[in-house]
Amino acid sequence: MWKLTLKGLLSHKLRLMLTALAIVLGVGFVTGTYVLTDTINKTFDELFTQVTKGVDVAVRTKASFTGQAGEQRAPMPAPLRDRIAGIPGVKAAEGSVSGYAQFVGKDGKPVTTGGAPTFGTSLGTVPEFQAAGTIRAGHRPSGPGEVAVDARTAEREGFRIGDRVTILFQGRPGEFTVGAIIGYGKADNLAGATMAGFDLATAQKVLNRPGVYDEIDVVAAPGISDQALRDRVQAAVGGTYQVLTGEQLAEEYSTLIAQFTKFINYALLAFAFTALFVGSFIIVNTFSIILAQRTRELALLRCLGASRRQLLASVLGEASIVGLLASVVGLGVGVLIAVALNAAFTALGVDLPSTTLEVRPRTILVSLLLGLVVTVAASVLPAVRATRVPPMAALQQHIVTALPHSVRRRALAGGLITVTGVALLLNGLFAGQGDRLLNVSVGALVVFLGIAVLSPLIVRPLARLLGWPFARWAGEPGKLARQNAMRSPRRTASTAAALMIGLALVSFVAIFASSIKASVNSTLDESVSADYILTGPSGGLGFSPEVVKRLAAQPEIESASGLRLGMFKLDGRTQQLAGVDPIAYGRTVRTETTSGDLADMVGGDIAVRENTAEEHGWKVGDTVAMEFPVGGVQRKQIKAIFKDNRLNNAYLLAMTDYTRHYTDQLDFLAFVKAKEGVTAAASRAAVERAVRDFPVVQVKDQAEYKQDQARQVDQILALFYVLLVLAVVIAFIGIVNTLALSVLERIRELGLLRAVGMTRGQLRAMVRWEAVIIAVFGAVLGLAVGVVFGWTLVRALHEQGITEFAVPMGTLFGFLVAAALAGVLAAVFPGRRAARIDILRAITTE
Amino acid sequence: MSDIGERVRGGEARDVLAVRAVGVSKVYGHGDNAVRALDDVTVGFASGQFTAVMGPSGSGKSTLLHCLAGLDRMTSGQIWIADTELSGLSDRRLTLLRRERVGFVFQAFNLIPTLTAAENVELPLAIAGRRPERAWYDRVIDAVGLRGRLGHRPAQLSGGEQQRVAGARALVSRPTIIFADEPTGNLDSRSSAEMLRFMRRSVDEFGQTIVMVTHDPSAAAFSDRVLFLADGRVVDEMADPTAEKVLDLMKRLGG
Repeated sequence: MWKLTLKGLLSHKLRLMLTALAIVLGVGFVTGTYVLTDTINKTFDELFTQVTKGVDVAVRTKASFTGQAGEQRAPMPAPLRDRIAGIPGVKAAEGSVSGYAQFVGKDGKPVTTGGAPTFGTSLGTVPEFQAAGTIRAGHRPSGPGEVAVDARTAEREGFRIGDRVTILFQGRPGEFTVGAIIGYGKADNLAGATMAGFDLATAQKVLNRPGVYDEIDVVAAPGISDQALRDRVQAAVGGTYQVLTGEQLAEEYSTLIAQFTKFINYALLAFAFTALFVGSFIIVNTFSIILAQRTRELALLRCLGASRRQLLASVLGEASIVGLLASVVGLGVGVLIAVALNAAFTALGVDLPSTTLEVRPRTILVSLLLGLVVTVAASVLPAVRATRVPPMAALQQHIVTALPHSVRRRALAGGLITVTGVALLLNGLFAGQGDRLLNVSVGALVVFLGIAVLSPLIVRPLARLLGWPFARWAGEPGKLARQNAMRSPRRTASTAAALMIGLALVSFVAIFASSIKASVNSTLDESVSADYILTGPSGGLGFSPEVVKRLAAQPEIESASGLRLGMFKLDGRTQQLAGVDPIAYGRTVRTETTSGDLADMVGGDIAVRENTAEEHGWKVGDTVAMEFPVGGVQRKQIKAIFKDNRLNNAYLLAMTDYTRHYTDQLDFLAFVKAKEGVTAAASRAAVERAVRDFPVVQVKDQAEYKQDQARQVDQILALFYVLLVLAVVIAFIGIVNTLALSVLERIRELGLLRAVGMTRGQLRAMVRWEAVIIAVFGAVLGLAVGVVFGWTLVRALHEQGITEFAVPMGTLFGFLVAAALAGVLAAVFPGRRAARIDILRAITTE
Repeated sequence: MSDIGERVRGGEARDVLAVRAVGVSKVYGHGDNAVRALDDVTVGFASGQFTAVMGPSGSGKSTLLHCLAGLDRMTSGQIWIADTELSGLSDRRLTLLRRERVGFVFQAFNLIPTLTAAENVELPLAIAGRRPERAWYDRVIDAVGLRGRLGHRPAQLSGGEQQRVAGARALVSRPTIIFADEPTGNLDSRSSAEMLRFMRRSVDEFGQTIVMVTHDPSAAAFSDRVLFLADGRVVDEMADPTAEKVLDLMKRLGG
């Protein structure tokens, strides 16, 4: 029996290769994801060990707020360093600061990164700490006029020793002389970040850390272990401070990065699994077709006494071999994918220092197992079906290719599965119990399965409709193509199902993105009365409050208001708030209050959004215990409760309080309203004049701001498209596969057509139109599912500010056209095969 | 025998010959493995004549049919269908020629399973983008006696009906010649007789030219002339055959 299995495999090499390709790609993506993230982690581990070199013990404040804006810690007073330096066993202690600093390139534009920080830092003078950064050229910067630049930025911007460079800070920008170019071991920068290094005094001044430190690093005297010194320092400084060994510090950094890479890992794996899921449809289909073509052979085996179990084992054995081989190849491809992804990250500005790729045993195991399991699981259904072949089929003249099946049972099963999926999906989206993401993804998966089960039922009517133009205008080949697409509903449906999934996801993402854009637009229309919106550097933190101050001083401008973001803790949970000047903010942003008045916040305190207040049972006049990075727990009174305007956060904090409770004072956004009667050109000029010294600030009127937001959404959208392309490519392979198999199956028919006068071109056209009908069928289903998914998610995120449901008709139509074109492309190879058929052999073989 | 050769070579009878072959050879394989399926065959088929081609298995009768129909390429020699010489034609020209000039009936798998009987009949015309002439179409359909079965698919038709649909398909485009390769090979005797009567009728009533390969003497008896092939050569022929006469000749040739 095993010999037969192997022989069967070898005789269907090409067909199985196409099947295997789907697995290869899916497994490759999984492997690639693991290899990439493992490599990133390893790289960073090495980097952090490098950066924390020489630090035996590090001290910093304990309270930390982690959230969207990163960690927030209060700085430490300068005298603390002296106290630590005096502890026995401390050889040296040095304070350091870091914060926002951004170079201005030679073209006058701020140097941006692909999301990595642009930071400034003090460079240590203690010899032990100097090991962290390696000076590649020049000398350690000293004095208020000198700066050190990381090697990558220097190379990219063409900064050389002695060049004058402008650097942007929270406060006024400054001009410096490049004194040194610094690398980190082998790496040219810290994972894509730009670094401006100063001496300590300069750093404290420009980074807005007067008389304070962010971290105090300690070198141990000979004879005392890091742990012992850490405990000693901890005892001396007390519980408000966190004391770590250098190793712990590196580990902590690594953990932070690991969290980030874990996120990347999950995100990429989600796409990889989608690809595998799509691939599994292709396996089901290929095996079904191959086995149907071998019906007679299988029946003969049954006649000769093979048991059902033996047939099943043989078919599953075949699947295992294919799955395993494909997974092995997939592993290799995965490493290439990792290299490609790495290159993509570099292109996005996240430079990863080159280290050898990290292929862990876990990666190999998971990839092989996944490929094997998916292939075998997907082949179970066709295998079981194949074993049901009656032995009599071997003796019959006509090969029964499709066993009769009950429409009602299919409708019932498909309906049930779909409903279950929808229920899971809705539960995940709206009920918010359990793991929501898991519920939603499993729900979506089940919905896809359900629709795949149902779709054969609508192949005939829908293919008839979609094929109508071909039958009408593409002559006999078009007519035959339509009939071919309709003749085996199960085959057409499962081929199209793969494309359906891909297109459902693509169109869902497109709809979601356009809904976000529409929501942003309507938010701006409704809530912002400002004429201009100012933003900081893309991906950056914000910009100096000085900007708003200067704007307010312009005679053409009626009001300017900055908005700062901050984290605080409420009952131990981190929340986000917006710091605003209530008067100026009220003039530029419409906020409707249900009780109290924003203006009451002038002296301090907070305003709370209506639904948040309801949730906690708060009224105006109540006080809330909030824990801030600076100043710890403070009781703030609620001065107003406002309706959601989709721009305000749940909490507004008076600016006077914000400045006291946060170290960094950066406006995230600024709103500017021009005086009445001032022309747009005049007000624009006034704004531009005010921000002249802050090249990092981008001035946009409402229309430009909308465009800008749309562009950001589009960028993410593009990323999703790129990742989903894999699933679509696999679906494409599925169409090629099915058509190629159908051509083989219909050799005699094709030969007959050629004999009675069909040209090769017409035959190719016939295969082409069939492919187009299948592709468009899948696309139509996919778009329908995508629209429903999109609508559901938009509904679910109504509270989060996605209030508009927008369907990008043009884009969706584009997908449909693209699917049709993909069909044309998919038919090239099978069509060529069909055209090459030897007429004689086709009509004479029995 | 020799007078046919004279007539064909001389070309004086070109107008009455629908198809003629001169010195046609077909060799499969190379060198030691070469098999000569046709060996310098020269034949002509007069318009409006029903010719049966007979011979033992491997005598080259199917190969001859395939070459005459432009389905297979000869190794040497020339074949004319009406005024067109086949040997130099591209695949495309050959296909168009088949579409315009040639009708086919095969032994098995003669119809496209997804098309109805009517659609199968119209297939060659549809491929050419033409519509059938109504009156002619009706005559053909009535001749095959399929009026009531036109909406059925092949799977719903009996073997005899399927073969008659194939016959109608061959006739409907008014080809110069119809080639039938063992058209009754898969049919029972009653269906065979119906099919053969239909072919006879299309020769007598419509003046159709038909060349039929068969190994059944009683089928050959429906023809006007029987050609006998052996080892790739035309070894004999008989006019106005009957089953007995054919059988006798076959016995003699075989012995």
